[in-house]
Amino acid sequence: MAAETQTGGSERQIVVFSLGTESYGVDIASVREIIVMQRITPVPRTPEFVQGIINLRGRVIPVLDLRKHFGFDVKPPDEDQRIVVTDVDGEIVGIIVDSVFSVMRVPDSAIEPPSPMVTGPEAQYLIGIAKTEDRLIILLDIAKIITDAEKRMLKEMDLAHAVLDEGDS
Amino acid sequence: MAAASIEDSEEFRIFLDELGEMVELTEANLVELEKSPGDPGLISEVFRAMHTIKGGAATLGLEDGVKVTHAMETVLDEVRSGSRHLDSSMVNLLFSVLDWLKLWREALSTGLSRPSPVSLLEAIGAFSPSKAAGPTGNSLSGTGGSETRLPPPLEEAIENALAQGKTPAVLKVKFRREAPFLSVRAFQVITYADEIADVLGSIPSTEEIERDAVGEELSVYFTPAEKGEAVVRAVSSVTDVTLASVEPVDQSRAQEVDETSPAPEELEPPAHGTAGEPPVQAEPTTATGVPGGRSAGDSGSVADGGREFQGQSEEAPEDTGERGTGNRGGSKQAEAVAPAQHAPLVRKTDLGKTVRVDVSLLDFLMDTVGELVIQRTRLTQIASKLQAADETAATGQDIGTLAAHLQRISQELQEGIMRARLLPLKNIFAKFPRLIRDLSVKCGKQIRFEMSGEDTELDRTVIEAIDDPLIHILRNAVDHGIETPEERRRKGKPPGGVIRLSAWHQENHVLIQVEDDGAGVDVEKVKESAVKKGLLSSEDVSKIDEKQALELIFLPGFSTAEKPTEVSGRGVGMDVVRENLERVNGTVEVRTRRGQGTTVTMRLPLTLAIMRALLVLAGGWIYAVPTSSVEEVVDFSGDDLQTIQGKPTIVVRGKVFPLISLQGVLEGAMWNVGKSCQYALLTRNGKSLMALAVDDLLGEEEIVVKEMGRLLSRVRGVAGATILADGDPAVILDVNYLV
Repeated sequence: MAAETQTGGSERQIVVFSLGTESYGVDIASVREIIVMQRITPVPRTPEFVQGIINLRGRVIPVLDLRKHFGFDVKPPDEDQRIVVTDVDGEIVGIIVDSVFSVMRVPDSAIEPPSPMVTGPEAQYLIGIAKTEDRLIILLDIAKIITDAEKRMLKEMDLAHAVLDEGDS
Repeated sequence: MAAASIEDSEEFRIFLDELGEMVELTEANLVELEKSPGDPGLISEVFRAMHTIKGGAATLGLEDGVKVTHAMETVLDEVRSGSRHLDSSMVNLLFSVLDWLKLWREALSTGLSRPSPVSLLEAIGAFSPSKAAGPTGNSLSGTGGSETRLPPPLEEAIENALAQGKTPAVLKVKFRREAPFLSVRAFQVITYADEIADVLGSIPSTEEIERDAVGEELSVYFTPAEKGEAVVRAVSSVTDVTLASVEPVDQSRAQEVDETSPAPEELEPPAHGTAGEPPVQAEPTTATGVPGGRSAGDSGSVADGGREFQGQSEEAPEDTGERGTGNRGGSKQAEAVAPAQHAPLVRKTDLGKTVRVDVSLLDFLMDTVGELVIQRTRLTQIASKLQAADETAATGQDIGTLAAHLQRISQELQEGIMRARLLPLKNIFAKFPRLIRDLSVKCGKQIRFEMSGEDTELDRTVIEAIDDPLIHILRNAVDHGIETPEERRRKGKPPGGVIRLSAWHQENHVLIQVEDDGAGVDVEKVKESAVKKGLLSSEDVSKIDEKQALELIFLPGFSTAEKPTEVSGRGVGMDVVRENLERVNGTVEVRTRRGQGTTVTMRLPLTLAIMRALLVLAGGWIYAVPTSSVEEVVDFSGDDLQTIQGKPTIVVRGKVFPLISLQGVLEGAMWNVGKSCQYALLTRNGKSLMALAVDDLLGEEEIVVKEMGRLLSRVRGVAGATILADGDPAVILDVNYLV
């Protein structure tokens, strides 16, 4: 049903952000808003990539550090950092990125399928690569990132339980 | 025609709700009826429930439901009128009717195939040999109208009218043979007649018409006789009326040989949505009572329990002018509440005092009020900041006053909304008498089940959460608690056991207790079983006392029953009970005395979304600890710290408590009590107390509990989050799971 009326085929709108030296993009449909960095309350007993919780207009949402999730080096906080608030099936999760460039329209024809070019830990979340005039944008599957984070949480927390229980007896 | 979308309609959903409620209510009433057979109040309630269901089913064209309830209603009516006894076989029949209705409801709501009513109808039919199961016109048998005599109330009404010098007359109407919706037509005739003249009564009576006891003939008695012509004109417009005539009453009384032996008439639900519905509930009219303006129209639902309708259909009589001004001496109530002239037919009784509200709306309101509370707290803070500086002190004062007002208002609002979320425990208690009854029959045990406090109210989420645990505990009481009659006799106990379910308020908690006078828990067996299952070493087991041993039954995978029985089932155990309760901040405790019985007590918070909490500082972050789980706060920033086996402890009034660092326990090093720690919270950790060391206390506040999303919903020891006055979120700790 999606309109594909534009001449020259359909296009996507993506939010482009940076992480380390790369540019990444996520579909704008799964992004609710982009907010500036703020104080994040840590939640104990969660894996390191769970940065904590913030108050988003009365709603408490978890915030993930994408660098830590991908296993990149940790970067000290700076003014460019943003929290990309994503909404996947009603689950609101904030994602910390180094900076946000823009929202871009990318024609489908400019998107190439996943290639072995991307080899980092983020490769498993890859949808494709968008080529624009000045750069390559790695398109990420935000839903997969979130569900994967959930799985990791459960796994790491179970381990933590086991350790706790041991220490208990 | 309309069948395609009926399942989506609001009416359908309301009907399902109502059906569920009625079935539960009736179940409870039946269990009561077994104890006090023949209680007329209970019988009427059961009857009314059937009637209500029938009405709803008929409106929606759910034929099977109409048939079943109608058949049952017919049998019950005989009980009600005293011509039949309610014996145990009939109670059992009623239970099967309820079971069928449950299945049917389930099928309706899930869209699965619906149960067949055939065998059930046969069973019911067996109870009413005089009339086949199913709606039949048994019009006058009950009221003795088959003689030349009129029914006494009508007789009396006519006498009275004559005595007052009025001129009674009778309108005789014949309907087309086998016309559908005869009862609706009969109502229409009576209504139209009543709009023009004063109706004294009718044969069949309005009560009988309600029960579909309508034949092809209808006699309506009215005054004054002069209006006869107008009445005939009006009722002639009613569909399927083939003949209408008026006679003065003395003459007709002599001839009143009532051959109204109406042909059995299958009740047809208005599946095709044409004119009329089957008649639905209305209170029996009194002696001189007139069915004041009762009518069934072409649209809308049927007057339910209200005598006060003046419905208007397309076939309304021409002489509208007379309506409303007409002499309606007999229907005073009608006038008092008579709706506006062109008012559509509505279910009057439902418009009374309650409104059904979607739970999500309540949740939304709750959240919004929570926001309001937070903003108000901020305002208070701003006010005190302003007051602190000289140049803004006056403004600060004003804002402070404002904030105080706001606080009162928001508090009232909050309390109101929380009250709206409360439901009486009746909602889940109602089914327990039946449950116990069935289980005790299955187990061959005699059990008296007593219930109290079912009006106690709790937040709906809490109610939902305790439903399964309660069922489990009650099952346990029947299956493992109460002994068989023989066994009880051997022990010198009365053969019948008692299970008592009670609920009551205690401060801001509700306690729910299940008590039995059965065998009690065999603690040694519990220990043995724990060892056998590898939950505990035999060495450990020898060290624990009885209380601790009882705690073992809450361990996952524990069950003392040698073999899982059909009643107790398998899989679900007390561990699930505890887990369910803890999810809503509740606790459960078991006490037992060998040979004398077991008491299980659940302790539940009244409401969920807002709680009082201590705000504490640990490792530089603020945490909220529910006040309900803190017994005491101790300032130990001096001396009391001691070490036993390398673990810190504190002594409070001669008692020794292990001292656990909050920051430490959150980071995985719980014995690491930092120098910064000043206070200790004595908190319940399961059954025992522990001292939780924190850096600072920031006060006690009402906090709004917020969810943190699915990602963080399963963090051990973390119950949720709240938003502090400065807007920062803080983690709410669940001390039961900290260690």
